[in-house]
Amino acid sequence: MNKVKKILTPICVLALSVGLFAGCQSNTQEADPPPKESGKENTKKENNEEKVKDPISITIMAPLKEPESPPDLLLNEIEKLTNTELEYQFFPDENYEEKLNTSLATESFPQVVYLKNANSFLLFKEAIRDEQFWELGPYLSEFKNLSSLKETTLNNTKVDGKLYSLYVGRPLSRAGVIYRQDWADNLGIDSPTDVDELFEMFRAFTEDDPDGNGLDDTFGLTDRNDLVYGAFKAVASWHGAPNNWGEKDGQLLPQFMFDEYIDAMDYMKKVHEAGYMNQDFPVTSKSDQRNLFYNGTAGVYIGTMSDVSTINNETTKNFPDAVMDVQNYIEGPHGEFGTWSAPGYGNLVLFPKSSVKSEEELKDILGFFDKMMTPEVSTLMYWGIEGEHYEVKDGKASAFADKKDQIKREVKAFKDSVIGEVQTSGRLDGFYELPARIKAEELILDNNDYLIFDPAAALDSDTYAEKGSRLLDSINDATYNYILGEIDRAGFDQVVENWKNNGGNDIIKEINEAWDAIN
Amino acid sequence: MSEIQLDSDLHYKQESVLKQRKTSSERWRRIKRNKLLYLMILPGALYFIIFKYVPMYGLVIAFQDYKPYKGISGSEWVGFEHFTTLFNDPQFWQIFANTLILFGMNLLFFFPIPIILALMLNEVRHSLYKRTIQTLVYIPHFMSWVIIVSISFVMLTLDGGLINDLIVWMGFEKINFLLSQEWFRPMYVLQVIWREAGWGTIIYLAAIASIDPQLYEAARMDGASRLRQIWHITLPSIRNVIVLLLILKIGDILELGFEHVYLLLNSVNREVAEIFDTFVYTAALKNGQFSYGTAVGFFKSFVGLIMVIAANKLAKKFGDEGLY
Amino acid sequence: MVEDKKLGSRLFHITNYTLLGIIGLITILPFIHIIAGSFTTTAELARKPFVLIPTDWSLDAYRFVFSTDTIFRGLANSIGITLFGTLFSMFISCLMAYGLSRRDLDGRNVIMFFVVFTMLFSGGMIPTFLVVKQLGLIDSYLALIIPYTINAFNMIILKSFFQNLPEGLEESAKIDGCTDFGIFFRIVLPLSMPVLATISLFYAVTYWNTYLPAILYLNDSDKWPVQVILRQIVVLATGLNVDDSGFEDSAPPSQAVKMAVIVIATLPVLLVYPFLQKHFAKGAFVGSIKG
Repeated sequence: MNKVKKILTPICVLALSVGLFAGCQSNTQEADPPPKESGKENTKKENNEEKVKDPISITIMAPLKEPESPPDLLLNEIEKLTNTELEYQFFPDENYEEKLNTSLATESFPQVVYLKNANSFLLFKEAIRDEQFWELGPYLSEFKNLSSLKETTLNNTKVDGKLYSLYVGRPLSRAGVIYRQDWADNLGIDSPTDVDELFEMFRAFTEDDPDGNGLDDTFGLTDRNDLVYGAFKAVASWHGAPNNWGEKDGQLLPQFMFDEYIDAMDYMKKVHEAGYMNQDFPVTSKSDQRNLFYNGTAGVYIGTMSDVSTINNETTKNFPDAVMDVQNYIEGPHGEFGTWSAPGYGNLVLFPKSSVKSEEELKDILGFFDKMMTPEVSTLMYWGIEGEHYEVKDGKASAFADKKDQIKREVKAFKDSVIGEVQTSGRLDGFYELPARIKAEELILDNNDYLIFDPAAALDSDTYAEKGSRLLDSINDATYNYILGEIDRAGFDQVVENWKNNGGNDIIKEINEAWDAIN
Repeated sequence: MSEIQLDSDLHYKQESVLKQRKTSSERWRRIKRNKLLYLMILPGALYFIIFKYVPMYGLVIAFQDYKPYKGISGSEWVGFEHFTTLFNDPQFWQIFANTLILFGMNLLFFFPIPIILALMLNEVRHSLYKRTIQTLVYIPHFMSWVIIVSISFVMLTLDGGLINDLIVWMGFEKINFLLSQEWFRPMYVLQVIWREAGWGTIIYLAAIASIDPQLYEAARMDGASRLRQIWHITLPSIRNVIVLLLILKIGDILELGFEHVYLLLNSVNREVAEIFDTFVYTAALKNGQFSYGTAVGFFKSFVGLIMVIAANKLAKKFGDEGLY
Repeated sequence: MVEDKKLGSRLFHITNYTLLGIIGLITILPFIHIIAGSFTTTAELARKPFVLIPTDWSLDAYRFVFSTDTIFRGLANSIGITLFGTLFSMFISCLMAYGLSRRDLDGRNVIMFFVVFTMLFSGGMIPTFLVVKQLGLIDSYLALIIPYTINAFNMIILKSFFQNLPEGLEESAKIDGCTDFGIFFRIVLPLSMPVLATISLFYAVTYWNTYLPAILYLNDSDKWPVQVILRQIVVLATGLNVDDSGFEDSAPPSQAVKMAVIVIATLPVLLVYPFLQKHFAKGAFVGSIKG
C-alpha cells in the first residue's frame, strides 16, 4: 500500500501541475481500493469457518498525538481479528477542536468520532442533549465486553443520566514525586514522607551542592506552566485541598475557596521565594522543565510517576551515574495524605446519528468496539505485534527498548484509542526493568487507596459551560501571581470575589442544584 | 432678474442632461471597447464572489445564539446582545487599549524599518554581499512563532538564560523579562522586527528596481550626494507603494497576530497583553461561544473598515492613488 | 571639496556595509542554532540550550526523520501544491490586477472596494468549509489551492505596479493594433519582472506554509503537506498543548528532531530565493520605452 502511494504521489503532483482543473482526487481514489481488497481477502480466509458476515466497513476519526499517521501494519491485523474494514482518519491533536467543530456544524462526521479530552466533551454536551449522537445505554448490555466497562467512569461520562459514549481508560491517579536518588544519597537524605521533608529536600538540593561539583548550580524543584499536571495540584491535594470542588457546610464550593488551597499556594510561594525552584515556572514549557532535570540543574519533578522511564533515560545520557526514585506518599501538614483522582478516562468516543443511520449499523459498530475489548485485540492495539514490538515476560508485555521510535510510529496512535483498561479488557500489563518504574507502577496502584474524587465531575452548569474557562483563567492567573508574590491574600480574595460576581455565584448555584438532584 | 436666472437655469439643466446622455453613451462605448478587460477581471471576480462573498452569510451568527448542531437557520436570533455584552465587559476598554497600543508601536517602530533596510540594501554596490545579506535577513520569516518564542525563552529566562547571565556578568541585577508587564510590549515589537523586517524589504526592493536609472544619472551629473539621491529620487519614487502598504496596515489595526501574542501571554502580563484575538480564542474555542467570537470579529472588521476608508480619503487628498 | 565628497561617500558606505553585516548576523544566529541543534544529541541540547557549534556531532535526528517516507511524501505534496498553486494564482491575479489597473475602466473603484472589503470581513471557517464541500473539493489537493487563488493584498500590489507603468505605453501599443491581451502579455508582463518575482514569492511562500486548510479539508493523511508534519513535531517537542491525559512514557519527539525537520522544511524555500533574486534587481524599464 505504501509503495503504491510512494509511486503515486509524484505522479499525482505532476498531474496536479499539468492538468489545470483535472483533480487528483479521482486518481488517488482509484488507487486506494486494490490494497483494501487484498485486505478483505485476508480477512475472508481467516474467517473461513465463520463466514457469517462480510466485513463491516467503519470510518473513524481520532486525534493524533504523534507527528505522523501510523502505517497500515497494525490496521491490517486489527481488521483481520475483528472482521472489519477500517479507515482511520487522524487529525493533529493541536487543531482537533477546530476539526470537531467544523465537522459538527457541517454534518461531515464519519461513523465514529473520538473527542479530544474532557473539555471537548463539555463543549459537545449541548449537541449530545440535542440528540445528535446515539444513546448507548440500552445497547451496552448486549455486548459482553462493553458491559464490563467500569461503572464509576461511565457515570462520569453520562449526560443527564444517559450514556452516549465509550471511554478510553486511564489510571485514576499517577501523581507523585520523581527525584535524584543519587543526590539524596550524597547528602544523606531519606525519601521524603511529608511536605516538610520534601521542602528540606528542595533546600538541600539547592544549597548543599548535591552533585558535589563545588558550584552553586542546582536547585530543588522543576515545574512548568500547568497548575493541574504540573506540581501544584499534587501539592494541593497533599495539603488536603479538594479536587476542583469540595464540600463545605453542606454545599459544594470550588477548591480555591478552601483554606487548604491557600496553604498549598503558601507552600509553593515559600519554595519559589527561597529560590528552590525554577523562577520562571509560569512560562516554562514541558520540554524546558524537563531539560532542567536532564541537565542536572534540578533534582525533583512532581507529576506523572510513570514518566520516570523517560526521565531516567534522558538524564543518564548526561550523568551515567544518576539514579531515580519515586515517591507518592507525601503527608500534609496535618498528617494526612490524599491524591487527586482523574475522572478515569482520557478520551471519549461518540457515534453521530448523521452518519450512523440505523440501529443495526450502530450495533455492528459497537460489535467492533466489543471485539476491541477482547484481550487479543486490546493487546494488539496497545502493545503492537508480538515479536515485532514486544515480547511476553512473566505474562506481561515488555516493549522492545531498541525499537522505541518504531513503536511510537506504528503503535502509539492506536494505543491512544483503545477502549477500557487492563482490568476490563484483559490486555497484557506492562513489564518493566527499571526499578524506579516498577516501583512507580506499584505506587500508582497504592494511590487508589487515597483518592480525592471530584464530586462535581458529572455535574453540569450552564454558566460554567458558557464562560467557565475564561473565569477559571482569572483564578489561575491569581494563583500564579500569589505564588510569585505579585499579589497577597487580600488580592487573591478580591479575584475570587470578582469570579463570584462575574458568574461564579451562578456556577456554584447550578452545581449545587445538580448535586442535590442526585443526592 | 429671477426670470433670467430661471431661463439660464433651464438652459443649464438642458445642457447637463444632454451632457449626461452624451457621457452615458460614451461610457457604454467605453465599456464595450474594454470588454476584454472585463473578461480578464472575470475569473478573479468569480473567485471573490464564490469564496469570499458567498460564505459571508456566516457573519449573521454574530446576531444569533449560534449552535453548530442547529446550523444558522436553526439558531436563535438575539440581535445586538453579543455587542452589548462586549461593550459592557469590564475588560473591553483595557483590551481595546492594549490592541491599539501594540498597533501604534508596530506602526511607529516596525513599519519604517523595512523601508530603511531596503534603502540601505539598495546602496550596496557589491552584488554578492548584497545578495547574501538579503537572503540572511529574509530567513527569520520562515521561523514559526512557536520557535521564535521558545528561543526567546531560552535566551531570556531567569533560570540560566544567556541574556540574564550576561547581565549578571556585567554586574547588574537579573531582569525578569518574561514575567513582567513592562517588558511585554518591547519584546513583542522586537520579535516582530526580527521576524518580518527582512521579509518586508522585498516589496520595497521591487519598487526601487522599477525606478528609471536615468533619473539617478541625471542627479549624479548634478553632483547630488548619495543621501540627496535617496531623498529626492528613491523615496518619492516608492512613495505610492509606501502609502499603499500604510493604508493596508491601518486596515489591520486590530490584527496583531494571534499566535504570537498568545504564546507570549502569561499570568503576569495579561493586563497589558490580552488583545481581542486572544480574548476571542478562549471564548470561541474553549467555551464554544461561536457567536460571541464572531461578534468580536465583526467589531474588529468594522473598525478596520472605517480606518481604511479614512486613510484612503486622506491619501487621495494628498494626491496619492489610494486603494480604490 | 571633491576629496570631502569622496570621504563622505566612503564613510557612508563603510557605515552602511557594517550595519548591514551586523543586522545579517543578528537575524541569522537563531537559525544557525537550529541547524547546529539538528546535528547534535538531545543530551547536548539539554545541557546547552543555545548551541551554535555542536560538540557531540550526531546525525541521529536526520536518520530518524528520513527513516520513513512521511517527510518525503510531505515535501512532494508541498512542492506540487506550491508549484501549481503559484502558477494558477499568478495567472488569475495578474489578469485581474491588470484589468483593474487601467484608468479608463468603468467601475474599477467599485470592484476595488469590494476586494478590499474581503480583506476586512470574512464569513468564517464553517461557511467556507461548506462552499468547499459543495464544490466537491474535500480530500482533494485542489482544496488547498482554489479557495486561496487570490490574495487580495498581492493583487492590490500587482495592480499598483501595473498602474505605475507609463500610460503612453498602452496608447502607442493600441495604435500598433495590439488588443488588451496583447498589451498585457507582450508589454506589461515583461516590464514588471520585479513585482512578478515578488508576488510569485509571496504566493509560493503562502502555499508552502499552508497548514490549517490541509487539516480541515483533507481526510487522507498521505496528502498532508510538510508543514502539517512540521507543526506537529514542533508542538509536541515543545510540549505545548499537552494535557498529559496520554499514556505513560509518551516521550515527545526530541529537540534535535524538531530542529532537523525545521531545517528540512525551510531549505526548499530558501533555495528558491536566489533564483528569484536576480529578477528583483532587473528594472527592465530603460530599453523599452526611452531607448
